[in-house]
Amino acid sequence: MAKARKITGVMPQDSYRENARIVLPQQVEEVYTWEPFIWDVARREELHNMRISIKRLRYTMELFRFAYGAPKMHSKETAVADNERFTEFLKVIVDLQEILGDIHDGDVVLEVLADYETRSEQRTTTSGIAKLITQTRETRNTDYKTFLEKWEQLSVANFKQQLLSFFGS
Amino acid sequence: MVTAPKIDGISPDETLEACARQIIVNYFHQMMSYKEGAKAGSDIKFVHEMRVTSRRLRAAMDNFAACFPEKSFKKHYKKIKLITQTMGAVRDLDVLIARFENELSTLPKTEQSDIRKLIEHLKQEHEAARKPMLKLFAELEETGFEKKFLTFFNTN
Repeated sequence: MAKARKITGVMPQDSYRENARIVLPQQVEEVYTWEPFIWDVARREELHNMRISIKRLRYTMELFRFAYGAPKMHSKETAVADNERFTEFLKVIVDLQEILGDIHDGDVVLEVLADYETRSEQRTTTSGIAKLITQTRETRNTDYKTFLEKWEQLSVANFKQQLLSFFGS
Repeated sequence: MVTAPKIDGISPDETLEACARQIIVNYFHQMMSYKEGAKAGSDIKFVHEMRVTSRRLRAAMDNFAACFPEKSFKKHYKKIKLITQTMGAVRDLDVLIARFENELSTLPKTEQSDIRKLIEHLKQEHEAARKPMLKLFAELEETGFEKKFLTFFNTN
């Protein structure tokens, strides 16, 4: 698993609000470092790393949520709109995390079943295990396809730029 | 789904350092509140919630690292990472066992015995994975980790 990248530029004595605008764009960039690998079905490790980066982004968004939409410089209306927008972005990130989680679970189950099969005394795949392997592989492949479709839709909508511009504003 | 711990009462116009202290302490309390349940082992949700909260705590610590003296911060961070990892081994097996138990109902009776054997095997691994977790909890208690952690993040 990839280690968290060091967050740079943080200013402890500046406001939480200002630092949110330094930290969140870096977390978004970390997610997108894995993008070139997702189209290759064999790059499971990188897909797993993207899942971890997305999880970090989600947790960081939840941490800094109250730094967006709190009325200070903005009008109350802007604050409400920002809050709603933040919620929409968060929903997308949670959705991506969940589908990547399902894919990863499938990979783990396939690994466990294969390992169990190898270790079993008979050294032959029993029918129950074989059926589970087939079912899990099918579900995993469907989930992967769904993820790529979602990602493609987000790319067309310029989701990364939307995130960066919102978080940096 | 485990939701983010509440961090009410903090203004975004306070310094990052002041907010970071409150958030880390808050997340830490939440995480430790699941420890007794995780130790008892009668409900898998406690291990799950403690692990997720430890991940959230680490995410907070990653973002706020610049607010604290590096050497001591790293020591505390490593311990939280160890908590996540140790609990992860137990949680992963909880998930697998639950998944295969669910799968049983989708298979004809003739094919169920293979899966039952697999579940039995995983339950043994689960028992083994709980040992390092319980050992870690005992070590945390013996060394006064909780008090040291809170003292550091409340005062340094």
